[in-house]
This record gives sequence, structure tokens and C-alpha cells, in this order.
Amino acid sequence: MKKLVALVLALLMALSCCVALADDVTVAFSQIGQESDWRTANTDSIGKWVGEHEGWIYTYDDAQQKQENQIKALRNFITQGVDVIVLTCIVDSGWEEVLKEINDEEIPLILVDRMPDCMDKIEYYAAFGGDFVEEGRRQVAWAGEYLKTLGRGEEEVSVAIMEGTTGSGAQVGRTEGNLAAMEAYPNMKLVAQQSGNFTRAEGQALMESWLKSIDKIDVLIAQNDDMALGAIEAIKAAGLVPGKDIIIVGCDSVKAAFQAIVDGEMNATIECTPLYGPAVVQCIENLLSGVPGSKELQHPDEGVYDMDGGIDVGGVVSIKAGDVIDERVY
Amino acid sequence: MKKKIDLTQLLRSKVTWAIVAEILVLLVCLIARPDFFSLKIQEDTGMLYGNIIDILNRSSEITIIAMGMTLVIALGGTDLSVGALVAVSGAIALKFMRWDVAEYITPGDYSVKPYALALLVPLGVCTLMGLFNGFLIAKGGMQPIIATLILMVCGRGIAQITTDGRQFTTKFTPFYRIANSSFLAIPMPIIITAVVILLMWLFVRKTAFGTFVEAVGINRNASRLSGINAQMVIFIVFAITGLLSGVSGLIYSSRIMSNDSNNAGLNFEMDAILAVVIGGTSMTGGKFSLVGTAIGSIIIRTIVTLVYYFGIASEATMAFKAMIIAVVIVLQSEPVSNYLSKRARNRAKLATGGVK
Repeated sequence: MKKLVALVLALLMALSCCVALADDVTVAFSQIGQESDWRTANTDSIGKWVGEHEGWIYTYDDAQQKQENQIKALRNFITQGVDVIVLTCIVDSGWEEVLKEINDEEIPLILVDRMPDCMDKIEYYAAFGGDFVEEGRRQVAWAGEYLKTLGRGEEEVSVAIMEGTTGSGAQVGRTEGNLAAMEAYPNMKLVAQQSGNFTRAEGQALMESWLKSIDKIDVLIAQNDDMALGAIEAIKAAGLVPGKDIIIVGCDSVKAAFQAIVDGEMNATIECTPLYGPAVVQCIENLLSGVPGSKELQHPDEGVYDMDGGIDVGGVVSIKAGDVIDERVY
Repeated sequence: MKKKIDLTQLLRSKVTWAIVAEILVLLVCLIARPDFFSLKIQEDTGMLYGNIIDILNRSSEITIIAMGMTLVIALGGTDLSVGALVAVSGAIALKFMRWDVAEYITPGDYSVKPYALALLVPLGVCTLMGLFNGFLIAKGGMQPIIATLILMVCGRGIAQITTDGRQFTTKFTPFYRIANSSFLAIPMPIIITAVVILLMWLFVRKTAFGTFVEAVGINRNASRLSGINAQMVIFIVFAITGLLSGVSGLIYSSRIMSNDSNNAGLNFEMDAILAVVIGGTSMTGGKFSLVGTAIGSIIIRTIVTLVYYFGIASEATMAFKAMIIAVVIVLQSEPVSNYLSKRARNRAKLATGGVK
């Protein structure tokens, strides 16, 4: 009899444990690694928002820039029986198999930042990513509108586009946006278009050469802030004044670029935000309360930051960088 | 007569062909854009300004590393870790100079208390890492390509950990001067490179060390039997290469005034090996030429500058570089240079009526 009571009690306890566990939602995030300040801010944002949410357990895996680590982490998440998986894909291809396994286990999947190429073949609850084409468009639009405020709207200006790593998603998208937007500003003439590989050093070396091979560059569109920061050094070395003699528009909005804008050496930067935390939390809350998911790629709200603010680039009005630099976390 | 024999030898020398290749590449530039060679003094900075200066200036990082790499290759090895060490050096230096730590919270206040530490610590760590490579090879008997692979893979990780995966920016003036100031109108990196080449040349040619390296590279056992401490030679060579990678890393970070653990020194090991090979040092070890290596490095940079200067599309850049390098290496290959020197010899004989 005593044994029976003990057994029943044990069973009850085990059951209550299960109930308690079932209340907690385990959210697992597979991140690609730590490659830049942008990526660190991305990890911190999701970690902070999800990790501090009441009743949620947050599991994080850093894949150290290797796809096989990410796939291993995803399989671990499946074995652990997590409730939600958040994923950023290091490369486009090679995901179908493991993502189908996640689908088979019916674990909701949220894709963030970098998307896999098999999106139409798998199930996912939501996808959040940057809009590279729109960022590219905004870069040129900002320069065009700024020239108008300077009274140079009709003057023919030479534009150089410093591209990112050839073939990367950001390079392809931003170039498309850059070139499409230039058609709306007939006074802009493309004089150079080459790759600076998204790095400061190559941006600097490329600008150094351009300044010698091209007679006049009025506007530099750099597809990320790092290349713009490199180019600024080259422009100074050539005896020109960055931000005045050459208008410089970057992309990403890292803190160093804000500093350059405040110092007057750079004109504007288009935001490509890593702060997906709030959106991901909102999305998981929707999921838990039974709102159906969407296969459409959702873009976060992103701003444009420049020296004085107030320039309308079509849908967004720029903000003065000096006012928000202190809030910048990356 | 004596002069003609010299000519044949000259045609056999790989350094000659490296120089010929460089001249050919520059000739292409000259024909396409005569203003390529324009040179002037920049008023604001008092520095020489022109493409030739850019080529010399930007080849510094590779040339400095390639000096060490020449000795490593003369020993019959390769050092794959140099690129990662460039990142380590920059990361450590910036660790001392970042402005976002509590002490230097105000941008503009970039004072670094013991500035020497910001230079000596990175160089010291890189030398130690070089010694670690040397230890694995000399004492552990590992193959250099495998031993140095360890630091090649984990070096960037070390750099990332040093800076917590972040990219610091500094505006600390003394550090800025390393790569951006000038001496007698010549940019500082060129001066540093010249000093490194000179010191290395004195070290290997004015002492017996160069001969030791060649002896160990040709036959390690034979050199040991003849009384050379092969282990010590390997230690010294890898330590030098580590130190030079550190110097290169400081120049790289000073140019961009920041650390870049992902991209600093990326593929530098390949460029350095290529510079050594173009310069006429054989991958099998033995005889080496420091001057040849310097020219090899300049050729590589000339090609990059040419690509930028002539606005060659990003997609075609790689193929274009590969094409030029292929031509240079074919020009230097044994059969081609033999054929050319034979023709020169025949012609010489023809002139004196020696060949029927």
C-alpha cells in the first residue's frame, strides 16, 4: 500500500514537473558567429529581448562562421525539443534537408537577416530581413535630394559607386537599388563602379586610385560604412575635404560612421539595422497566441542619418546623426 | 666576351625575369594612360603623390611579410599563419587604443598611457607565435604547412577574443603616424619596408645565417652533420616571420585606424608566397633572393593598382590578376628561360661565327 502511494505521488510529481515545463517556452537561436560590430549587436538584441522575456527560456548557439556547426546546432535543438527556432543562415544553400527535419517535428521556424535559398520549399512562421534594394535606392536618393538643397539639382555631378564583395546579397541588392535610383536623377553621371570588398583597407586603396584616375568625383556611394571610412582617409591624403569636396553616403549606420558624420567628414548613412529583438519577441508572442504566420519577408523599420536631418528620401525623412549618436549601441 | 656570358647568366636568373615582367606591366599602364606615372608633391601633407608611390606604399605589408616568408621557403617550408598574425597584431594594438572603454570615453581623448605597450605587446605576441610555429616544426617534427595551419585557423579567433568580437576605431595621433606620415616626402610604410629589407639583407648576407638557411633547406641532415644547429635556424626564421607579420599588422591597422579581425591580412599568406615564388626562390628550398621577393611583391601590387586605375569591372578582377600572374610565372619557368638564354647564346656565337 505504501509503495502504491509512493508511486502515485512520484507520478504526480513527475506530471506536475511536465506541466511546469510545458508552461516555459524554449526559444533557440542559431547565430552564424561574431564577425563584426553589426553581428554582435544583432546577437545582443535578440539575446536581450528573448532572454529577458518572462516565462521564456533562451538557448543560443554560435556557429563560428561554419555551416556544419549551424546544422549540428539545429539538430541538437530538435533533439532537445525546443519550442521555437530562430535562424540566421551563414550561406544561401544547403539548408533544405535540416529545415525539412525541423518542419517534420513541427517546430515553428523564424528566419532572421540572411535567408536560405529553399524558402519556397520549406515551412516557416515568419522571416525578417533587410531590404538591400531599398537601401541602395535610399543612398542615391539621399545624395540627389541633398544636392537639390545645395542648389546643385541641375548641375551635372559625377558619382562613384564603391561596391561590396562581388556576388554577396548586399552587393547585388544595393547595386540594383543604386542604379535604379540614378535614373530618377538625370544630373547624376556614373563615373566609376568597382568593388572594395566591404573592408576599410580596400575602400581606402580603391579611393586612392580613383582620385588619380578620375578627374572629378562629386559623390561617393559606398555600399557599407567601413569602405566609406577607408575612403575618407584616402580623400584626406589627396588634400581634399571629405564631406565637402566629395559627398559621401555610406550604409549600415555603425557608430564609427555616426562619429564621422558628427565630425563633418561623412554626409549620410542609410540604416541596415541588426536590432531584430523586438520584432522577434512580437512574432513569438503572436505565434503563441495562435496568429497565423506569414511567408512574406518582413523588413524592419530603418532610418537615414545625416549631418542636419530633414531630407526626404521617399517615405523616410532623415534624422540628424548628432542627436542619436549616444543611443547607438554598435 | 665576358659581357656576353653575363648576358646568358642574366637571362637564366629569375630575378631578371621578375624585373622584365614588372617593366612590361608598367609599360602597358604607360601606353594605356600616359598620366599613370605622374608624380607630384601634395601641398597639405608634403608627401609624394602618384601611382608609383601608391604601389610601393601599399605593397609594404606584403613585402615585409614576404621577407620572412623567403627564409621560410628557403628552408623548404611555408608559413600559412602570417595573415592571421596580422589580425592578431592589429587587434592587440587597438585594444590599447580604443576610445569606448571607460577611461577614454570621450571621443577625442585618445591618450594612451604607455604608448610603447601598444606597439611592443603586439610585436612580442607575434614573435612568440612565430616561436610556437618554430617549436612545433623543430622539436615536434611537424611539417611546416601543418604546424602553421594551427595558428592560421585559430589566430583570427584569438584576435576576435582580444577585442570581444568588436571593431575598435581610434584617432590616436602617434599611431596614425605609423602609416600616414612621411620622411623626406616619402610615405612612412615605404621607409619602414626599406629598413626591414636592409636589416634582413645585412643579417642573411653579412653573417653566415643566409648560408645556414640554404644549407638546412637543401638537406637538413647533411647540414646537421656539418655542424649547423638546424633547430636553432628554424626557430630564428619562424620567430622573424612572426615579428615581421606583427610589423605588417601595425601598418595595416594604422592605415585604417582600427582593427579588423576578419579582413586584416586576409590571404596575405598566399600573396607573400606568390611574391617569393615570382622573386625566383624555389618552393623546394635552398637558394633565395630577398631582392627578387621585394620585386615580386611590387608586381602583385602593380596589378591591383592597375585593376583599380583602369576601372576593370569587379567580376573580371580575379581573372585579370590570374592572367597576368600566369604570364609572369610562365616567363620564369625553366624551359622558357632555358630556351631564351640558349637563343641568346646562339646569337652570341653567330656574331663571332661560332655556329654553322
